[in-house]
Amino acid sequence: MDRWFLIAATLLAAVAGVRGLLILRHGQKSHWTVYWMVGVMLCQIGYLGIRGEMRGACPLRSIGEISVFLAWSLTLFYLLVGPVYRISLLGVFTAPVVVLFQALALLPGKLDPNPERIINTTFWGETHSAMSVLAYGALALAAVAGVMFLVLDHQLKEQHLKGGLFRNLPPVRELLVSLERLLWLGMVLLTVGVVAGILMPHETEGGWKHVFVAVGVWGGYVALMAVKRVRGLTGRKFALGAVALFVLSLGVFAFV
Amino acid sequence: MELVCLGVNHKTAPVEVRERFAVGNTRLGEAARNLLEMACAPEGVVISTCNRTEFYLAAEDGAAAMVRLEQGLAEKVHGHEEPFYRYERKEAARHLCKVVSGLDSMLLGETEIFGQVKQAYQAAHAAGTTGSVLNRIFQKSFSIGKKVRTQTTIQEGSTSIGNVAVELAEKIFGHLKDSEVMVLGAGEMSRLTAQALVSRGAKSVIVANRTHDRAIELAAEMKGRAVRFDDWLEVLKDVDVVISSTGAPHTIIHAAEIESVRRARKFRPLFLIDIAVPRDIAHDCGEIEEVYLYDIDALEQMADEARARRVKQIEECEKIIEGELEKLLR
Repeated sequence: MDRWFLIAATLLAAVAGVRGLLILRHGQKSHWTVYWMVGVMLCQIGYLGIRGEMRGACPLRSIGEISVFLAWSLTLFYLLVGPVYRISLLGVFTAPVVVLFQALALLPGKLDPNPERIINTTFWGETHSAMSVLAYGALALAAVAGVMFLVLDHQLKEQHLKGGLFRNLPPVRELLVSLERLLWLGMVLLTVGVVAGILMPHETEGGWKHVFVAVGVWGGYVALMAVKRVRGLTGRKFALGAVALFVLSLGVFAFV
Repeated sequence: MELVCLGVNHKTAPVEVRERFAVGNTRLGEAARNLLEMACAPEGVVISTCNRTEFYLAAEDGAAAMVRLEQGLAEKVHGHEEPFYRYERKEAARHLCKVVSGLDSMLLGETEIFGQVKQAYQAAHAAGTTGSVLNRIFQKSFSIGKKVRTQTTIQEGSTSIGNVAVELAEKIFGHLKDSEVMVLGAGEMSRLTAQALVSRGAKSVIVANRTHDRAIELAAEMKGRAVRFDDWLEVLKDVDVVISSTGAPHTIIHAAEIESVRRARKFRPLFLIDIAVPRDIAHDCGEIEEVYLYDIDALEQMADEARARRVKQIEECEKIIEGELEKLLR
């Protein structure tokens, strides 16, 4: 049953993305994207509920579960940020990333149909997992906003100003403000996750390695924000930094 | 009752003729009453804008009412070629719908005309010169005008350099209320462009001109401030938009000068609009990451493209008007 919820969430996200892009090609705004994404969120909650019951804890033990949690977190932040900042196009950019994460989880062998029940959970361990993945949701959305900025920046620089995509992208300054706010939010959540990771009990050397990598990623984001605040950064470098750090951290965590 | 329309506009009459027919906004009701008297008709509306004056009448014998009106107006066209166009019945209704939709405007698809026609109709209504025929046709024309604007892209895109600059500035900065504008050179083009930005809420305008008095004059007009021309670089660190239109024979803004203030600006986006010929801003300024540089050719090209897109929409708009008129006259 959990798998069916996940398939439904993936299909809905795919519809949101494809439909949004088609509408965009006709030069119009995709007003329905947010509703499709609400559908995605409901299916994700269905999946997480069932999976949580099976695990008896927060379902964050395998790469498949982490991917889905990340997709849920990304959807959650989109629904919180997108409509508030009237960034309707953010959904069209977010939906493919959600599809990507969930498709990864749906690959054979990534989601155990009978997952092992977790008995020894600790407060710090659960906090670390949940906060870190929530942080990655915000940071993923920041990366999406970064990509949107890079697209718009390229169009403005090259004076390619035709088409629905240009017309519907939010202004440069709004994208940069949203990007910065999302990075702050992600960093606060990641800080809580990292602190909880240090305080949680570590029985193996691998556990500490994971924490060191998390501290490294956190340091990368702190450096990016500090440079932006103190010295200032061009929009392009700031957006590239947000995208690069997110992709890099995902890559690192996939192997550590 | 028959609907008829008699008018002069920018296509049929030069400004020296059009101005003889012009009616101020506050006198539209009175003009409508005079119209009824002149044409001996029960219903009438006078529309008057800078590009047109049109008289709409509803009468039992529309043609006769129009003849009486023309005779009454003959004195005003004395010494000039025939400036009038005339529409009767369905043609008159179709023409009104086109006017309301901006299809007959000098600037195709402009939106101001909608409000102007509405104001004229309201004035006539308040003066008691409208009845069942004109009420019905004018109200229908407003709903058709709205439909044309919402269902087509006739009003999309900017068709003047000033508006293209505003559109781009809004794409970069969003609301302009936090944006400061610097004008280099106090010529007509920079005045118009700066005015367009101010009308959309730009926070403040700083003017620098070789003749300082002229800068003070323009700054006063824009409710901004003037600086000495040699001080423009100091101001650059605070502004978001630069409009340059000096008569200098060489470039005056170079990449090195912008590089020198980048740190102080914290690498914020900078929109440079170069409407001077020869150009004021060196091409390599556009290679700086946070700088968006547009020269007059780029802006004109965008305005031309918007105009072409609007022309393509005419057929679509006319289909809507025809469909709605069919329903009205069925």
